[in-house]
Order: sequence, then structure tokens, then C-alpha cells
Amino acid sequence: MTQSAREADSALTDQLVRTVWSGSVYFRIAFAVLGLGSAGFAALMLYTFQRGIGLWGNNIPVAWAFAIVNFVFWIGIGHAGTFISAILYLLEQRWRAAVNRFSEAMTLFAVAQALLFPVLHLGRPWFAYWLIPYPDRMQVWPQVKSPLPWDFAAVFTYGTVSLLFFYLGLLPDLASTRDSAPERWRRRIYGVFALGWRGSEDAWRHYRMAYLLLAGLATPLVLSVHSIVSSDFAVGLTPGWHSTIFPPFFVAGAIFSGFAMVLSLIIPARKAFHLENVITARHVDNCAKLLLVTGLCLEYGYAVEMFVAWYSGDEFELWQFFVTRPTGPNCWAFYVMMFANVLLPQLLWSRRLRTNLKLLWVISLVVNLGMWCERFVIIVMGLEREYLRADEAAFNPTWVDWGLLAGSVCFFLFLFLGFLRWLPVVALSEVKEGRRERERTLAQAEGARG
Amino acid sequence: MAEVFELHLRRRDLGKLVAASLALSGLTACAERREKIFPYVRRPAGVVPGVATHYATSVVRDGFAVGVLAESHEGRPTKIEGNPEHPASLGAAGVFEQASVLDLYDPARVAGSRGPLGLTSRESLERELSAAFGRGAAPWLVLEPTSSPSLLRALAALRARFPRARVSFHAPLAADARYAATERLFGRPLEPQYRFERATVVLALGADFLHDMPLSLRHARDFATRRAPGPAMSRIYAAETTLTPTGTLADERIGLAPSELVRFAAAVLAELAKQGELATALPDGVKSALARGAPLGETEAAFARKVARELARARGAALVVAGPGTPESVQVLALLANAALGSVGRTLSFVEPVPSGQDGALPLAKLPDALRAGDVGALVFAGTNPVYSAPELALDELVARAQSSFCLAHVENETARACGSVLPEAHYLESWGDARAGDGTLSFVQPLIEPLRPSASALELVAGLAFGFPASTHEFVRDTERARLGLGPASADIGFDFEAEWERNVQRGFVEHSEFAAVNPTLAPERAVPLLEQALSAPSSASGFELHLACSPTLYDGRFSENAWLLELPHPLTKQSWGNAALVSSRTAAMLGRHTGDVVELTHGTRRLRAPLVILPGHADGSVTLELGFGHAVADQLSHGVGVNASVLGVPFGTVARVEVRPTSAKADLALTEDHWLLAEEAVAHELTLASYTQNPPKYEHDLAAQPSLLPSFEYAGTQWAMSIDLSLCSGCNACVVACQAENNTPVVGKDLVKNSREMYWLRIDRYLTGNPDAPRVLQQPMLCQHCEKAPCEYVCPVNATVHSTDGLNEMVYNRCIGTRFCSNNCPYKVRRFNWFDFSGARGATLLQRNPDVTVRERGVMEKCTYCVQRIRRAEILARREQRRLRPGEVVTACQQTCATGAIAFGSLDDESSEMLRRRREPRAFAAFAELGTRPRTRYLAKIRNLDGEETGS
Repeated sequence: MTQSAREADSALTDQLVRTVWSGSVYFRIAFAVLGLGSAGFAALMLYTFQRGIGLWGNNIPVAWAFAIVNFVFWIGIGHAGTFISAILYLLEQRWRAAVNRFSEAMTLFAVAQALLFPVLHLGRPWFAYWLIPYPDRMQVWPQVKSPLPWDFAAVFTYGTVSLLFFYLGLLPDLASTRDSAPERWRRRIYGVFALGWRGSEDAWRHYRMAYLLLAGLATPLVLSVHSIVSSDFAVGLTPGWHSTIFPPFFVAGAIFSGFAMVLSLIIPARKAFHLENVITARHVDNCAKLLLVTGLCLEYGYAVEMFVAWYSGDEFELWQFFVTRPTGPNCWAFYVMMFANVLLPQLLWSRRLRTNLKLLWVISLVVNLGMWCERFVIIVMGLEREYLRADEAAFNPTWVDWGLLAGSVCFFLFLFLGFLRWLPVVALSEVKEGRRERERTLAQAEGARG
Repeated sequence: MAEVFELHLRRRDLGKLVAASLALSGLTACAERREKIFPYVRRPAGVVPGVATHYATSVVRDGFAVGVLAESHEGRPTKIEGNPEHPASLGAAGVFEQASVLDLYDPARVAGSRGPLGLTSRESLERELSAAFGRGAAPWLVLEPTSSPSLLRALAALRARFPRARVSFHAPLAADARYAATERLFGRPLEPQYRFERATVVLALGADFLHDMPLSLRHARDFATRRAPGPAMSRIYAAETTLTPTGTLADERIGLAPSELVRFAAAVLAELAKQGELATALPDGVKSALARGAPLGETEAAFARKVARELARARGAALVVAGPGTPESVQVLALLANAALGSVGRTLSFVEPVPSGQDGALPLAKLPDALRAGDVGALVFAGTNPVYSAPELALDELVARAQSSFCLAHVENETARACGSVLPEAHYLESWGDARAGDGTLSFVQPLIEPLRPSASALELVAGLAFGFPASTHEFVRDTERARLGLGPASADIGFDFEAEWERNVQRGFVEHSEFAAVNPTLAPERAVPLLEQALSAPSSASGFELHLACSPTLYDGRFSENAWLLELPHPLTKQSWGNAALVSSRTAAMLGRHTGDVVELTHGTRRLRAPLVILPGHADGSVTLELGFGHAVADQLSHGVGVNASVLGVPFGTVARVEVRPTSAKADLALTEDHWLLAEEAVAHELTLASYTQNPPKYEHDLAAQPSLLPSFEYAGTQWAMSIDLSLCSGCNACVVACQAENNTPVVGKDLVKNSREMYWLRIDRYLTGNPDAPRVLQQPMLCQHCEKAPCEYVCPVNATVHSTDGLNEMVYNRCIGTRFCSNNCPYKVRRFNWFDFSGARGATLLQRNPDVTVRERGVMEKCTYCVQRIRRAEILARREQRRLRPGEVVTACQQTCATGAIAFGSLDDESSEMLRRRREPRAFAAFAELGTRPRTRYLAKIRNLDGEETGS
């Protein structure tokens, strides 16, 4: 290794780890605000737990609403993280190194939000563990024809694998942080979490193998989790839910929303931490391209859904897709969804607009909103208008519904802020490794020429 | 402290002790509170814990009795059923009978006697009342109309003791028009008796004969016998202002404003008078009077011609019924039509009026003047609420002019608030009494429970005043009965066992064959001429809208205003819960430029009323219907601010008046459980005409035959429960809904939750209006758990909380339910109900009403119709104990039991004799949403409308 490379490495380490040691006043303000929001979230959860979910706007027929919308929304967001860290890793897309830490943290925190809602939405949440096949003395097991136990298992597995993957990837960087910690007590803390990483050849070899295996394990999860989540709806006979296209349609939507969230988070973070040299314009552009591609998959899903509804000739399907969605109660959500997920991403065909970060950021936020609305359209509007005309009712969210949604956003950002503040936000070792490889290729090329 | 150290505790032992005591005391503190229960030491005779007993008693409204059986669990009355032997019930019970049991436990009941100086004892108040009757100016007693022989005897004695005492009878819905009409035509007031089982063609003129007449339950039973599709099927025509349950079952119906109704009736009669042999029955004076009426519109006139033609064709088996709320002119025209059709003695007969004691009674309208003049000593209101129902008399201010005022009231109502002293009124399940049914049958009111609080019935009060307090109503009713049987004092009984006779009658609930004998009055049709001339020549082009006041199908006249079941009960046609509204047709609403939910202001003279508008397709144009019984003004009561009080306009029930209707910009907050008014077509409920049904029977059943299913097949064998509901017989009257609520401990949730579609009914009635918005067809479909064989709710439950039983029931396991609500999402019939909050906590005594056979559900669990599984299992246990098979028809569901038309049939598929099975083999039986492959156990029978040839085009 040349001296210059070593210096460049340590400069990079300094740059990327510095964020951990230098908190600004803005950070504190943001922390306080989001902390307060998270406390409100906890208070509202407690309130719901204590009084019952009658506090929400749900009714019969709309028995599922915000809680399940939020659940699917957050789970979907998680998908981009795993997609970037696992699938792009296996495909040897080097540029992922710049953004994978972000997206993995995002995945983890999104899954954390997602896990809260299905439990909270139960009528008797204290019996949530009945969804798990635990050794009951009466030998009663979950009912496996229902998608819900599978859903629970899938999300739980996903959460666990995401955590392991995140942590494993973090290990060398935790060690770097430990090594550059200014105070002893911090060194101690990071030391504990670094699990005694010394960066030996053996450790690296085992680490690589473990990372590869976990990536392999996580890859099918990207496809399976949202497929199973989609079966929560596809198994039902509700028009608008009962559709075989749901698994791929949901996965596409999930990755789409995930990339939107990655962009929403990475663009401000890149600016705040001056990471332009690490997360380059090309990286952001790649994310935007993927947003466009997954968006196209999703739009294909919309088209097929509508076509099949029309082609089936089934009066209830027609009623759901062509009357309820454009004209029924809460039809604003349908129009927001169509604008945000179908029209807006088409701007990304233009390279000029793709590299306009401010615009891209706004697009990504609107797409997030659009994807939330998509879940709202599917779940709530599907239930608002079903088979029986006499028992139709509209859904009107209460302040508790809105509060829990806002609270979960706060909590998500709170956790994310904590991540930005206390952990290296970019995978140091991978960035270095990538740089080294690039240098080597360059050197080899030069050598070959020379 | 020193002692502690002397124990030589070691540190570790202390730690163990502390930990153990913390754990133990902490854990015991967490345990549920223990409560001891005690078995009977000496069991009262006839009480078997856990086994319900039934006692016959009677529900009396406005002097008319309906025989019922009250179910009692360990001394608590919990449910009312019809008395199968009683001629006014025939086993059915209506909405009000079903709901009446809740009033017994009403937390709002008058808690104790209240004198001018505050709370007092009942005895002292009674003493004071007796004293007040004897001194000062003449006492005045205001009572509900009555047919009770005992009360009439007590009143006679009262009058003998206090000759100056004056008596008024008051009931807001008391219909005197039929007595006036019979008096005019026959020379004396008479009670018409309709025989629907003999009527082939019926014309209902503003008559909701299935619902709001004294013998409606019987009418409904009789009516149903002629509604099976076939040659004997009767044909019902209805002409009415608002849409009523009877109107929904009519084969053809027309909406007519009250003034049009008179002209329509005259047109029908005029048509009849043209028909050959019928022509002779009417004198020329009547005919010329009929010709005076302003002409009807084209549709109405054509309808009148058609109805007259059909009535004439069915001569001898035709019947024209005028409703209790119609004016005398319509009643007279109906009587004349019946006479011309030869109905009298066949489909129509007459008996003496049931409420009596009217001789010497003063109309209530004279009371205000007497009060102003200071001529009233003690003023007593017993069981009536005229301050609320007759605000035009301004009694709320005038009552204070009486020297003393007393009110016997069930709840602190408006009249009680106005009176100086209040006595708690006993519920009928707490008191002895007697009354006559609509046909005169002598019925007994028998208490099931000691009064929950010291209280008195009206009979007790009057008897006490006449003979001195305390009055034993038990003895008094027995003595009346002895007198009726012509027996002297008990010691003189020779050769007649009064005790046995009395016990038999009380056990049965009524005296057999005690109905009034039919009288054969002579008709004097010419006496109708002046009335008809006046009624028909009244100008028809006055300004404003015609006001039509109606009996509320949920609160009656307002006496049930504190009954939570009835307050929440959706209106049969508007589906409005917790309130009433000004009902208008869509054309009238368009004229006003307002829509459902907007507030309008009605003005009659100087009186004003603001009411929310509700569009009811099929309502007559140019008129407004207001239902009585809502809009109570007593603060902090359940009914406070619920709906509007139509009496405020000062128009007595049964009279035609015009009101100005002014749109306002205000909006009302309505709780409508269905917000669709008109559908192009309905997929879940079918309707056919008789002609098309007989010529070309539909094939619904084959839809079910080969529905593919992913679910494993199951061989259902042995007893298999199923239900068949005949839509031809459902008028949407709601009796089943309340019966289900009483049987299954279904909670009331309040207006806010109803507005958010969270009502908890296990059985609801879906109302569909289809066709022409001005003359819609109405379909009422009772919707309850269909008990699907391939139930979509079952396979989505993650914890097996809803499962299938081997006898075909879709069962709900409450204590396994965690409340994912997936089952509800997946139910195409939307019959599952969720406990959004803890609805199980009832207030105070209301707990006593609960059926101990049905689990009370906790917060967060799903619930739904069980096909009354508690009744099924009880019957099975009984059969097993007696080592026999279940008898056909042994299990009766609560909804089935109370239904007056018998629309609901229940039984086992292996019981070949059952009505349920016979029905589902009819070609018109269909399964709701059969195409979804759910294979429901519940079948509906398509509604059959019996149209005449002209309509069907045959």
C-alpha cells in the first residue's frame, strides 16, 4: 500500500467518522422535536391499548384502515434497504457501498415501525403471541390457512435478518470508530459493540463469507416478505384484494417506495455531512433510475389490475375499480396515488431532472406519499365498497389515526437521526475497498499499457 | 428495631424473605377479586337455577292488551315472547312488546316519591293525595285510555266517593276517528275487526295494518296465510302518505298526500258505485257527494279505477282498511266501500269499542280553561305525558294553577317535571292488572317480580283513592273477576271453584272466548253525506305543505323515549337511528332545494319547528311526514335532544293541516345506518311477479350445485341447522332485531358510534329501494350470519377463533378471538360485529336484563349471530336427558319466534317435515351471493308481488 493511499484512507476515515464526534445544535433541536413526537407516539399507543381501537376511525365494513396501511407502508419501505445491500451486493454493484448503510438502517427502523402496528391493531393486543406457534399446554396452534401467522413469521424473520445484516456490515466500521474515539468511555462503548474486531486476515475472510451468506439469505426475503404481506389481501374475497397479481405487484411497489425513501433520506444527509465525494451524483442518479424502473413495474401492475377487473366482467370488480376508486369516499387518495406513482416518476426519464437534487428530493417525498395512498386505496377503499350495497360505509380517520401515523414518522426519523449521530453513516471499509480496487484496476491497466 | 436484629437474620435469608413477600403480596394483589356465590339453602318452589320459566302477562298500550309470555331467570324477567294462545299475539311479539322489558330496568326510572318539599315516602304522598282529593276545588284525573275492568270499576268507585272528580283520557295516538265514523254510519261507536285471512283483495288507506293497529300482530299472522305464491295469494293495494312496513309488502302502492287520500278513497267508492250490483248499495246522496271531489291526477285516477275493479272482482272477499291516523271522512268512505263490497260479516265485523269509560269523561282540551279559572283542586296525571304530547294546551305553565299536582310517571318526563309531586309508576312486570285485547279478549297483567323500587300502577292509584291506600291490586283484580263471573263474596262460592278458574286464566294470561261478540249494526249511508260534502269540497290548492303526523315505528308516541334499544333501533324505511326527521319525497325536496340532512323550518300558525329533512322515495309529493315520540326536553336523559317533537306544531294526530316549510342553511347530524336511497338493481335480494314466477320459475339453486372450492369437503350428516327467510313476508318491522338484541345481550352503542357504522346488531334489516324514485319498490332483507358451509371468515382467522361445528353452525369462540377483524373483511354479508370499546359494562339494573345463557363479550372480540346456539344446545340437552331425538320445530330462534308474519323458518335439514325445508325447496329459494361459493345455510325466498293482469301484461 502506498503512503498516499494510506493517507487518503485515514482522511476518509476522519471524514466519515467525524460525524459521530461532532454534534451540532441543529441536531439537538431535531432530536428534541422528534423525541417529543416519539413520546407522543408512545402515549397514543398507550391510550389505544388502554381504551381500545374504537379510538380509531375503523368501522364495519372498514375493519382495517390506518394501522394496516401504515404497516404495509413501512414494511414496503424496508425493501429497498435489503435490495441494495443484498441483491446489489450479489450482483457486484460497487456503487451500493455509498448508500447501503443508509438503506439498511432505514430498513431496520422501518421494520421496527411496521412491527408495532399489527400488534396495536389487534382487538386484544395482549394476546398477540397467539400468532406464534409456541408450545401451548392445550396444544392450540395458529391456523395456518390464514395468511396472518405467515405474515407475522415473515416480518419477524425479515426484521431479524435485517438486524444481523446491518450489524455484521457495521462491525469493521464500529472498530474504526472505536479506534478513533477521542475519549476512553466512548472507546469502551464502541469497543464492546465492535466485538473485538482487529481487522486480521482471518477475521476478514470469515467476515466476507458470513456477509455473502447473509446476503444470500436476505435476497429471497426481499421477494417473500411483501409477497406474504400481499396475501393478507389476495387471500380475501374482497373485490380489489382478491387478485393473483398481488405478490409481484406488492414487491415492485415496496422497492419503489423504498428507493423513494432512500432518496428522501440520503439527499439531505449527503448535504448535511458533506458527503458529496462519497455519495456521488452518479450514485444518486442510479437510485433515481431504479426508482423509475420499479415505478414502471408498479404502473404495469396498476394497468393489469384494471384490465383484469374490466375483463372479468364481474360487477363487483368493475364497481370497485371504476366507480369506487375514482368517485367513492376518500377518492382523493386515488388521485394522489395516480399522480405520485404514475405521472410524477415519468420526469425521471430526463437526466437533467434526475440530477437536480432538489427536484429529485421533492419527487421522492411525493412518491412516498403516493405509496402510502396506494395502500390506503387498496385497503380502505376495497372495504368501503364491497358486495353488499346496504352495508357500505365510509372511513373517516380520527385524530388518533393521524397522530399515530405522524408519531410513527417521528419515531422513524428519531431512530434515523440517532443512527446518523452515533454510527458511521457510510460503509467505510467497503468504500475503502472499492477505492482500492479501482486504484488497482487503474494500476493494472497502466501496467499493461506500460 | 432491636427485636428485628434479635432474630439473627442473615443477609441472604432476609433477601429471600423480601423477594418472596414482594412476589407473593404483589401477585395476590394482581389476582382477580374473589366473590362468593351461594346456592339456595331452601330452593323456592318452581325455581331451578339455570332453567328459565315463562309466565303469561299482558302488555297494554292505549287500552289495548297484547298477551305475552315473560321469560324469567331466577326471578329476573329477561325477555318477552308472544303468547301463542292469546288472540292478539298468536305467539308473535312486536317491537314495543320486545323492548318493554328493558324499561323495567331503566336506570332513568323515577327513583323515589317526590313531594313539593323534596323526597318523601310513598305512603305520605299517598296520604297527601287522598287528602287533596277531598278538599278544595274539584280534583281532575288524567289517565291513559283504558279497557281494564278493574280500573273502570275503581274509577266508578272514585266517582262515587268524589262526585266532583273529573276524569280525562289522553293518549297522543288515540284514534277516535274510527269511533266517530262508525257512530256516524251505524249510530254508535264500534271497533272494526278485520279478517285478512279471508281477504283476497285488500286496499289499505293510510293503514299500516301490519304494524300500528291494536291487532296488528294478529293481522300479520292472518295476512301471511294468504301470501304464499299461488292462486290463493291475496293482493294488497296501499295508498299512503309516507312509506310504511305495510306499504313495503303491498303488491302495488301509491303515495298520496292526506287530502288526496280522501279524494282517492272517494274515487274508489265512486268507481264501485258504477259497477252493476254494487250500485244499489249506495244512496244517490252519497253518489252525488262523491262527484264533488276535485279530480285526481291521471296516475292516481287510473290506480283508483284499477283498485276498484279488482275489489269489485273479489266481492265478498274484498276489504278496505282505513288507518287509525286517517280522518273521519276516509274512515267513512272505507266503511261505505266495505258495505258496497259486501265485506261486512265476511272480511269485516264490528264489536263494541275496547277502551271504555268514556261516558262522563271530559276532553283534556277543557283542562286549561279549568286551570285558568282556578277550578282544579288536585290534578293527577297517571301514565300520560300531556305536557310533552299536547304542548298546545300549555300545561307546563298551567299545572301550577291547580291547588296541588301529582304525576305517576315511569321516568322523570316533562309532565313529572311540571308537577309538584311525583310518584314512581310500576312497570307492568311489577303489577297486577287486567285489560282487553283488540277483539275484547279479557287479558291479565301478572307481575313477575316484586317492584324494584316502591311504585304504584295507575290501577293501584285509582283504587287507593277510591277505597283507601294501600290498595292490593291482586285482590282488586280478583274481585273484579269474581264480579264478572257473577260470584258474590268468597264464602258464597257454591259449586264453582273460583280459585281453579282464576289460576287457569292467569296461567293462560287471558279468559278464553271472552272476546266481544260481533254486533250487526244497520248502516245509514245517507248520514255520511254532509261529512263527505264538506271533506270533498275543501279547497285543495291552499299554500304550503300538508302535514302528516305518524306513529313512530320505534318510539311509539314517546313513551319509550328512555328505552335505549328503541332509541338506537333504525327506522324501518329511513334507517335513521337516534332521531326522527321531516320525511319528504325527492320531488318535494327538490322544490325546497334541500337534501337529506339539511334542516327545514316548519311553521303552523305561530308555532315553529326546525327539523332535519330526510328524503324518502315513495313519499307523497307536497306533504311532510313527522313521526311523534321524539324531541324530549328533560335534560340529562337519554332522549334529550334526540329528534324533534312534532307535537310542538299543535296539530293533533289524525287531523289534516297545512304547514309552511322554509329551507334553512343549517345542517343536522343524522345517524343513518344506510345512506343509499335508490339503487338501480340489487344483486343480493330478488323479486319476481307472481305471473312470471308461476309461468317461468327461476333456477337459483343450480348456482350452488357445483361451486368449486379449495377448502376440504366435509360430509355433513345428521342434524344440520339451516334457516329460510321469505322476503315476501318481511315488512321490515324490526321486531326480530329487538328480539335478537334482548336474547343475545347485544349492546347499544350510542349515536356517535352508529354514525360511524359501528352498531352491534347481529341481525339487521337491509332495505333496498329500487325502480322509479317516485314509486320505488321496497325490499326488506333480514341480514344475519349466513352460516356458510365454506365460510370465508373461518380460513382467514389466524387463531381458529371462528370454526365450524359438525351440525353446520359457524361458531365464534370469543375467548380465543384476538380481534384481527380479518373475518369481518372477508365476510361478504358484513354481519360480523366488533367490540370497538368495552361495551359489556351496562349501567346499574340493566345488568339484570341480561340473558344468562349468552356470554357477554369483552372489548376487542368479534361477535355475530349464532343461530341462537344457546337455544339449540338447551333443546339438545333436554332431548338427551329424555333419551329422545330432537322434535321437529323444537328449536326456535329468537327472531323466528317473534316474527308476526312468520317470515323466518328455522330447523334441521334432516327434518323432512319442517317448514324451513319446504321453503328452501321452492324454486324461488336462493342463497345470497351464491356465486362466491360460500354455500350459505341461510336461504332467502324471492319476494313475490301479485300484480294484476294489466301490470304483468299477461
